[in-house]
Amino acid sequence: MKKSRFSMLVLALVLCVSVCTYGTVFASDTIKIGILGPFTGSLAFNAGEMKKGMMLALDEVNAKGGLFGKKVELVFGDTECKPDKGLAAVKKLVTRDKVLVVGGGYCSSVNIATSEFCQFEECPVVVAIAISPTITNRGYDFVFRTSPNSPMFLEGINDWLAQVKKPKTVAFFMENSDYGRDGQKIWEAQCKKIGANVLARLYFEIGGTDFTSAISKLKNLNPDVVFNIASTTEAALIQKQAKELDYSTQWIGVGGQFTQAYFEMTGPISEYAMGSSLEPTKAMKDPVTAAFVNAFLKKYPGSRPGIFSSQGYDNLNVILEAVKGAGNPSGNLAKDRLKIQGVLAKTDMKLSQGKIKFGKDGQVYTVVPSVVQVQLDENCKPDTQIIFPTERAASEYQEPKPWSERKCK
Amino acid sequence: MGSLFLQQVLNGLIIGSLYSLVAIGLTMIFGVMKIANFAQGDYCMVGAYVALFITAWFPGWMGWVGSLLAAAAVVGLLGIVTERLIFRPLLTRWTDIDIIMVSIGLFILLENLAQLLFGATPRMMPDPFGSSTVSIGPVSTSVLRIFCFAFSILTIAALQIFLNRSRMGVAIRATSQNRFAAQLMGIDINLVYLLTFALGTALAGIGGVLYGTLFAVYPLMGGMPTLKAFVVTILGGMGSIRGAIFGAFILGVAETLGGNYIAMEYKDAIGFSIIILVLLIRPTGLFGEKEGA
Repeated sequence: MKKSRFSMLVLALVLCVSVCTYGTVFASDTIKIGILGPFTGSLAFNAGEMKKGMMLALDEVNAKGGLFGKKVELVFGDTECKPDKGLAAVKKLVTRDKVLVVGGGYCSSVNIATSEFCQFEECPVVVAIAISPTITNRGYDFVFRTSPNSPMFLEGINDWLAQVKKPKTVAFFMENSDYGRDGQKIWEAQCKKIGANVLARLYFEIGGTDFTSAISKLKNLNPDVVFNIASTTEAALIQKQAKELDYSTQWIGVGGQFTQAYFEMTGPISEYAMGSSLEPTKAMKDPVTAAFVNAFLKKYPGSRPGIFSSQGYDNLNVILEAVKGAGNPSGNLAKDRLKIQGVLAKTDMKLSQGKIKFGKDGQVYTVVPSVVQVQLDENCKPDTQIIFPTERAASEYQEPKPWSERKCK
Repeated sequence: MGSLFLQQVLNGLIIGSLYSLVAIGLTMIFGVMKIANFAQGDYCMVGAYVALFITAWFPGWMGWVGSLLAAAAVVGLLGIVTERLIFRPLLTRWTDIDIIMVSIGLFILLENLAQLLFGATPRMMPDPFGSSTVSIGPVSTSVLRIFCFAFSILTIAALQIFLNRSRMGVAIRATSQNRFAAQLMGIDINLVYLLTFALGTALAGIGGVLYGTLFAVYPLMGGMPTLKAFVVTILGGMGSIRGAIFGAFILGVAETLGGNYIAMEYKDAIGFSIIILVLLIRPTGLFGEKEGA
């Protein structure tokens, strides 16, 4: 009896506290920013790269005393690259953690869903890495993206196909997701324009490991170019298995696969693979990019600052600048978010990826990727080299050789 | 066209040989102990990490072959520990749901532990045969793949000899057929349980090294082998080693041919379609027997 009376008392107390605090506006003692990303699952290490860049930006701002005398706090939401998990994570960030703005974001299918939720809740979201055009082409005014979208990534490749490679036959071997299928649409339209015949359209599931069946089919068809939109692990496994099946072709991806992990996994067998890239180490002449690279190397000795770290760094810096521009948060979340959205729309700053200025649709159009090819140095060490457009090129395009004629295997 | 068909059959047989190692372990444990072990693929992952470290210290094919044996030993030992500490206490309760939940818990625990210890970045083991390839007529593959295939077949043959010719092998088979009768005949079934679990997990460890060498080593790599092993085991008949062997090769070849002639993106769905068809015609699987014991 005593026990039950005590339980009732506790329950009443909890209820009382809940009722009293419901609807009350608290001024938080930190500036909370939500960050989405697949921090577990098969893309965890890519999201980890993005997180590294963000932690660098966070350290920089907090070292200067934070914003408005408050520390900036990042609240991470794990999407596992699954739309349902992403929605659960963003709902928690926006409604329970009450973040001012949501950043990060990897995997297009997830970000299409999470950005829709943010728009509905009128919480600004700044997508860092996902590149499907759908994210910013729905007329949503609370949705921004600091990364070029897939047409921008693929445009350079399109020009290169028309001016340099001029393939007669092509095949698609794509990740079965919005990322892969959107890219395919863009490249397929270009192939039609330049008169290249599409021999096959093959897809694989994210997390797949055995690609020998598809590679055997491609080998049999022997197209001049194989478009292969894949993330790091899958792209590396495809290269490895193509070698095992003695198949050599011109592989073209988006470029996001060219991470430190990719080169560690593939070694020289990734030679000749192509994509578009915004890799910061390729633009060291730019003082802002060089400053980022140096700061990154100081914080993470031995690491290579790749595209995702740089995109993460820029993404958080854009958000921080907007929060700063919107003024000290009043505690009224809806008003604060609206102010931040207004400032974000007017963003105009120079960061490690280049100038960040959003179009009316919230998409950044001022960051322009270059066409890169993996080439080997005299010690058979692979690295990407800009090969197109010619005015930015550091090296010339190399035609893929059959495996029997390659020096480094 | 014919050459592509032959190439796909070869690809399927090679991948099937990998499936068979993990599935035999799973089906042995199920046959003897009635444990549906969802952590089976994670024993593969542990084996792959053991090999990753050993091949880093001793590169070359000798180091790699040594890593196969070391992985079998380490993972077998881990199997013994998990059997004694986690599964054995549950066996007396005879409720399948407890054991299933515990094995799922173990699978999550091992994955997270690996992510904590080794990070999420996938790593590749160097090809012990220097990436050399062989072409036999119209088909080509790597020496590594042929070795993986041959090693799987040899392991399966050695296991069959052990189960058919040794006293302990006969005891395992007897317990699998009828554990109460086996106990009445004086067989120490606790020892049989321990040995079966050690053998089943050691096979997964070897499978893990082969998976890890052909593909990549990362904390979540166990998911796919577990899924495939369950497909194979249900297809061949739960508890039937012969079923697991045939089921694995059927699945491997069906996936590659289905991927080639139907649609690549439905490659994984093909296995499940075959299961549905087989279960409709033979509810006990291809080689499964009706429950009598």
